[in-house]
Amino acid sequence: MTAARPRPAFAHASEAELARILDFYEVAWEYEPHTFPILYDRDGAVLESFSPDFYLPDLDLYIELTTLKQRLVRKKNRKLRRLRDLYPGLRIKLLYARDFRALLLKYGRITLADAFSGAEGQATPPRPRPGTYADAGHATARGAPVARTSAATSGGAADLPAPSASRARRARRSRAEARARAAARATAVASTEMTA
Amino acid sequence: MNRRPDLVADVAEVLLTEEQIQAKVVELGTRISSDYAGSELTLVSVLKGSLPFMADLMRSIAIPVQIDLMEVSSYGGTATESSGLVRILKDLSSSIDGRHVLIVEDIIDTGLTLNYLMRYLRGKNPASLRICTLLDKPARRLVEIPIDYLGFEIPDRFVIGYGLDYGERYRNLRFVGVLRPEVYTSPE
Repeated sequence: MTAARPRPAFAHASEAELARILDFYEVAWEYEPHTFPILYDRDGAVLESFSPDFYLPDLDLYIELTTLKQRLVRKKNRKLRRLRDLYPGLRIKLLYARDFRALLLKYGRITLADAFSGAEGQATPPRPRPGTYADAGHATARGAPVARTSAATSGGAADLPAPSASRARRARRSRAEARARAAARATAVASTEMTA
Repeated sequence: MNRRPDLVADVAEVLLTEEQIQAKVVELGTRISSDYAGSELTLVSVLKGSLPFMADLMRSIAIPVQIDLMEVSSYGGTATESSGLVRILKDLSSSIDGRHVLIVEDIIDTGLTLNYLMRYLRGKNPASLRICTLLDKPARRLVEIPIDYLGFEIPDRFVIGYGLDYGERYRNLRFVGVLRPEVYTSPE
């Protein structure tokens, strides 16, 4: 067994659990190693990006995990559709809350499922600020990829960071997305005016 | 599990009848017999869920075969959490070096266990390594696995019976059924 390496600061306890499952089955993973721009303004500046939670290099597969209730995943689905449109060669699988719940059930850990649902499972530590986004249309590394660890911690408490950072992160995302929506509306208005 | 299991009441629906399963097993056995005619074939069953399928399938194969059994730990098992890694609980009894190997599985869902097993068995230099599974639940797949012999593709529901369990129960049902959600959502 290789020496334990520091685990990345997972945004959600469910991500830490999935990392433990992948570790268990010796599937190599990286946590949020790439960020894909998915919306630009007319000057080519990135307005919105998508960073899938996991990349499995041996399988060339991205995994995005969401524990939102099914009726709340519309935005995530929209982003995923946009990602697939822009990067058709990308292999990505979205694990919904029901999928993750089934996974926990399979492994006899159904009692954990509720703890991993929505805000209850939010557990975001202070995270390194993302790196700068590179040229439009290219996947951009957010700093160095985080290597998998071979020694999984049990329980998950060690992976649970302070909830305040989680709220801050959500607020940052929310503000960024609001700016993106505003810019998109402005672009649409401008396009309509030009057409008229 | 405090709740007392009921082999009849806990089944919401029969997904595959005994007759459907047996017909499919014979069909698979016939195909395997034809494909491996003249070869040295070893069937490797993965405990515990595939035992009934293995027992029926091997008797539907009309060429000489050897059988072997393996068991690997599953995530969440208390015995394995100290290491945090999958472990071979029961290894092959005989060498598969140079032999054609067919893994016999009850169900493939995430593909994680089978992905591990395939890597492990490839390291033992078989002449070929292929997969036969009775059930495939593709909606749950994380690791793509090429399936050479498939019985049934099933929907994304929790199935029990014909070797498949929930909490080590229901394996002895002669059909494949859907477990009532109340069984696994009720307080333990």
